[in-house]
Amino acid sequence: MKKSSKMKTFFKTLGNLFKKPVTTKYPFEQTYIPDDYRGMIGFDEKLCIWCRRCEMVCPPGAIVFSQDMEGKQTYHFNRAVCIYCTECVRACPKEGAIYQTAEPAKYALKEENINKVWNSLFEEALKSRAAYAFKKKRLAADKIAIKKPGDEK
Amino acid sequence: MGKQYEIPMGAQHISLLEPLHFKFTTENEKIIDATANVFYVHRGIEQACCSKFKFRQVSFVVGRVCGLCSISHSTAYSQVAEKLVKIEIPRRAKYLRMLVIELDRIHSHLLCLSHVAENSGFEALFMKTMQYREFSMELLEAVCGNRIQYDFSIVGGVARDLKPQVGQLILERLKKFKSQLDELVDIYQNNWTLSLKNKRAGAINREDAIRLNVAGPFARAAGLAVDVRNETEDLLPWKEVGFEIVTDSAGDVHARNMVRLHELFVSIRIIENIINGLPESALVTETKAFPDGEAAVRLEAPRGELFYYAKGNKTQILERLKIKAPTFSNVAAMVEAFKGNEYGSIPAIVASYDPCLSCTSR
Repeated sequence: MKKSSKMKTFFKTLGNLFKKPVTTKYPFEQTYIPDDYRGMIGFDEKLCIWCRRCEMVCPPGAIVFSQDMEGKQTYHFNRAVCIYCTECVRACPKEGAIYQTAEPAKYALKEENINKVWNSLFEEALKSRAAYAFKKKRLAADKIAIKKPGDEK
Repeated sequence: MGKQYEIPMGAQHISLLEPLHFKFTTENEKIIDATANVFYVHRGIEQACCSKFKFRQVSFVVGRVCGLCSISHSTAYSQVAEKLVKIEIPRRAKYLRMLVIELDRIHSHLLCLSHVAENSGFEALFMKTMQYREFSMELLEAVCGNRIQYDFSIVGGVARDLKPQVGQLILERLKKFKSQLDELVDIYQNNWTLSLKNKRAGAINREDAIRLNVAGPFARAAGLAVDVRNETEDLLPWKEVGFEIVTDSAGDVHARNMVRLHELFVSIRIIENIINGLPESALVTETKAFPDGEAAVRLEAPRGELFYYAKGNKTQILERLKIKAPTFSNVAAMVEAFKGNEYGSIPAIVASYDPCLSCTSR
């Protein structure tokens, strides 16, 4: 038993010398990708109802909404921070506003300086939202202040 | 009495897969004493889970504790969080969780076996095992959408459904894998070259295994029938899908290999049973409750018993999360099993422990 098994392995190893490699030549040949691969997150601005639920549930914080002074929101997404867990798609109340495609995400390049740019963008987005909320609050307060003297009369 | 030498090994070493430091006291090439230092990769995950992330996001964070048993961690956390918010998950979600855990076990065990072969000096068997392992990675990608970091278990159920064509694909590939597995069992069991490095190396007896509280394939190879799948039925119905415990009596590297290989047959049977009898139901139980109280959960990861403890305080953020990884239970026995062995057989012994130190130090 011992001897036959030893020789079997030896001949198999010899035979393997003349076999094709089992690995794929990756950059030239595409590796296996299933139909529902967890790829890039897409966003449809026309369908979005701007509830920001995707931003709230996102574990790594790869989605953020900034807001200008008129109250219009803009969607920002960082493909290098995203973990492609599909939690935003599950949380979205409007179907199709945020969706996942099977296309693999593009790698981040050093030239993009993605972390630094994203961190400053994230902070600015939060600040812009706070500024709009503050403006709205002040306008509401002004309205009350203008109305109040009228009511008294 | 010969002269005693102290030989350090690690934290970076060619035969170590993870940062782990051993200090051996040797006498004429024989190890008479060993000490271990395992906490090299502390990442502060427990603290992050209790401060930065909401309890629903934590299942994705703990999935990053370990690359190999990602699904075990996220399932164990999901179960403990479900206990805190007091919900019962749908039946289909339970079965899908078991399916991915078993697929994960196949790829983890084959990785361990291949490294034992490599560290024993059998490079060709390492390549062969890795080649046969590839199918499990592709199946996991087809089921979860990713080769590693599955993000499959979420609080309340599972994230994705199993498509019928993916189920068929799994059955086909498993059928093909069975003959390959028979071939691997034959080589690991009967190969004479491998047996020189594996038989009677790193042996631990049953009494020591009980005394040192060993878990996982390490314990089962020493004849200790400990398996969480055999003990608990309340969270995942293991017996229903045909689980059987595998044990061996020798307790050496060869016995550990055999336990791992025979567990793969059990895993294949479980997966086939799950796909053939998958119940129809929803995937997620929705709830708006916040975690409250305390809970603990045990789950059988590929390396042994995984333990999760969580405490909630009726807010989005947990008050405490404690992870005890299987390797942590095995450290004492790892040191014990080295004694009396040749220094040259250390690489094979270390690989056969299947240490996961990123899990242990988190």
